Amino acid sequence: MKLFKELYDYREMIFSLVKRDLNGKYKGSVLGFFWTFLNPLLQLAVYTMVFSVIMKSNIEDFYLYLFVALVPWIFFSTSVSGGASCIWAQQDLVKKIYFPREVLPVSFVTSQFVNMLLSFLVVLVVLVLSGKGLSGYALLFLPVIMLIEYLLALAMAMITSALTVYLRDLEYLLGIITMAWQFLTPVMYSMDMVPEKLRPIFNINPMTPVITAYRDILYYKKAPEMETLLHAVTLGLALLVAGIIIFSRLKRHFAEEM
Amino acid sequence: MEKGNAIEVRHVSKTFKVYMDKGHTIKEKVLSSKRRKYEEREVLKDISFSVKKGQGLGLIGHNGCGKSTMLKLLTRIMYPDTGSIEMSGRVSSLIELGAGFHPDMSGRQNVYINASIFGLTKKEIDERVEDIIAFSELEAFIDNPVRTYSSGMYMRLAFAVAINVDADILLIDEILAVGDAAFQAKCFNKIKTIKASGTTVVIVSHSLAQIEEICETSLWIHDGLVRAVGNPEDVHEQYEKYVLDKRIEIADRELRRENLKKTELEQEEKENVSGKEEESPQNIKIIDTKMYDKYGNERAMFKTDDECTVKIFYKVYHPQKDMFFAVGINRIDGVLFYSMKMRIDKKAGFELLEDGVIELAIKDLTMLPDLYVMDVAIEDKNAQIVDYVTNAYRFEVVSEKNDEGISRLKHTWKKES
Repeated sequence: MKLFKELYDYREMIFSLVKRDLNGKYKGSVLGFFWTFLNPLLQLAVYTMVFSVIMKSNIEDFYLYLFVALVPWIFFSTSVSGGASCIWAQQDLVKKIYFPREVLPVSFVTSQFVNMLLSFLVVLVVLVLSGKGLSGYALLFLPVIMLIEYLLALAMAMITSALTVYLRDLEYLLGIITMAWQFLTPVMYSMDMVPEKLRPIFNINPMTPVITAYRDILYYKKAPEMETLLHAVTLGLALLVAGIIIFSRLKRHFAEEM
Repeated sequence: MEKGNAIEVRHVSKTFKVYMDKGHTIKEKVLSSKRRKYEEREVLKDISFSVKKGQGLGLIGHNGCGKSTMLKLLTRIMYPDTGSIEMSGRVSSLIELGAGFHPDMSGRQNVYINASIFGLTKKEIDERVEDIIAFSELEAFIDNPVRTYSSGMYMRLAFAVAINVDADILLIDEILAVGDAAFQAKCFNKIKTIKASGTTVVIVSHSLAQIEEICETSLWIHDGLVRAVGNPEDVHEQYEKYVLDKRIEIADRELRRENLKKTELEQEEKENVSGKEEESPQNIKIIDTKMYDKYGNERAMFKTDDECTVKIFYKVYHPQKDMFFAVGINRIDGVLFYSMKMRIDKKAGFELLEDGVIELAIKDLTMLPDLYVMDVAIEDKNAQIVDYVTNAYRFEVVSEKNDEGISRLKHTWKKES
C-alpha cells in the first residue's frame, strides 16, 4: 500500500519519463510522431499482402483476425523484452538518487501502452473502413481487457527489468523467449486449432485469455465470455503480486550491482 | 520511532563485495569462477544514532571511513545488510546534483524533470519554478539548452532545484563546491535558513567549521564504527588531534628516512677519503645524532611542549678528558632558536675513554611549528673544536593550537579583584 502511495507521489516523474520517451522516440525523423500511426498501417499492409495473396487462410478476413491480436501482442512483447533494460539503462539515476525504482518499469510500460492506444486508433479506423464494423456494446469491454493486459505487461516488465540488473544476458535471451511465447499464444491462429493435449499449456499462459478477449470484442463483435475475463484477471493479478514481490526483493541491491 | 526524532539508525552494518573483475553475463558467471573472486569489505559495523527533528548532524572521518556510505544508506540508494533506518518525512539530497538533466532540453524543462525526480508534483513545481530560477541567477539563460551552460551554471541550476524541494530531511555531501565564492556563501546561508525553518540536516563535510556552524551534533565515524559523538567542538577537537597524530606519524617516517639517508651519505663520503683518516689528528668523532620521544622511540616530529632526548653517538680514537658538548637548534630559515652548551651550563667536561653515547634531555620543546635543524659540536677545555657537524638532525614541530610567534611562553590570565 505504501508503494502505491509513493508511486502516486512520484506521478510527475512517471509523466515526464513517458513524455520524454514518446517525444524522443521519433526525434530526428522526417515524419516524426506520424510514424506512430504509419508503423501499424504498414504492418497491416504486409500481412494483408501475405495472407490474402500467398498464404490464403480459410479464416474470413484473416488480416483483420490477425491484426486485432497482433497490436496487443506487440505491446506485451515489447514490454517484456524491451522493458528488460529499462533499469539498467537508467543506472546513472539509480546509482545517484532515490526514487521508487518501480517508477522505471511503470513508465516504460505506460509509454508502450500509449503507443498501443494510438495503434488502436488505426485498428478501429480500419475495422470501420473494411466494412467489418464495430459493436458498441462489445467495445465497452475493450478498456477492461486493456487494463488487464497493462497489469500483466507491468508484472512481466518488473520481473525482467529487475533480473536483468543481475544478469545482463536476459535482455538478449528474452528476444527468443518472447518469440516462442508468441507461438504459444493464439495470435496467428485460433484456440480451436490447438491440439487437445496442448491446451493446458495454453491455459496457464496469461496472454491466451487476453488475446481471445481482444478478438471476441473486435473481430467477432461480441462481449468476451465471463470465464475468459475471469481467467485473465486471475492470472494477471497472480503475476502482478509475484512481480511486486520479486522486484521489491531485487531492488535493494540495484545500486551495488551496477 | 521515538517521538521528536527525525532519523533513527539502529545497529546498521554494510558489507561490500569488491569484485576483482565482475562478470555480468551467464558465460562470465559460470565459466570463469576465478573472475568472481571477491573480497568482502565491511564498511559499516554496527552504527547507531538518532537525530532530533530540526537538528543538524555532521558526519566526519577520514577518506574511506564509511561516512559517505552512511549517507547513501540514508538516501536509500543502498540498503543496510543488518539493522534498520527509520526516517520521517520527505527526504531530499544534495549529493549527486543534476540527476536526469537532459542536455538538449532548456534549463526550465530540466527544472521540471529534475524536480519530478525528487518526487514533486506538477503543481508543486509550478509554485517553485520562479524561486528556483531566481536562486540559480540564470534568468537570462533559462530557456537555452543546458548543453550551452558552463559547468558552474549547470551546478547552480542543479543546486537551486535540490534546495527548493522543501524536504523534511536534507542530506548534504560536501556542500558548497558549487560555483564562485559568492554563490557558495549564498548556498550556505540558504541551508542555514532552511534548517532554521525546522528541516533536519545531515552533512558530510571535510570542513569542520561548516559543521560547527550548522550542526548541534557531530558524529565521527572511524573504520566503520562510531568513534565519538557529541557537541561538534568537542568531537572535532578529538578528531583534529587524531588527524594531527596521523600526519605526524607519516611525516615523522619521512623525516627519519631523510636523516638516515644523509648519515649514510656522509659515512660513504668519509669512507671514500678514509685510510689515512684513521690516523688523523682528530681524537673524537661524532658519528650520528638522533632524537627520541619520552617513550624512547626515535622521532623526527614533535608537538610544541613535547619532551625529548637527543643522543649523540661518538667514536673515540684517542681517549680524552674534559670534552664539552654543544647542541644548537636552528629554525630552517637560519634563525638560531636556542643553543645548549655544557660550558655555559657550567658542567664539567666528560672523560671519553671508548665509543659511546651522550644524552641531552630537553624538558619542553617550546618552539612553535616549523622545521628545525640541529648542529652538534665537541670542544676541548680550551674551547678548541674537536668535531663539528652541521645539519646533524632535522626535525619538525607541529601543534594543535594556532598560537603565533617563535616560542610558546607558559602563561595564565587573571582579572585582579
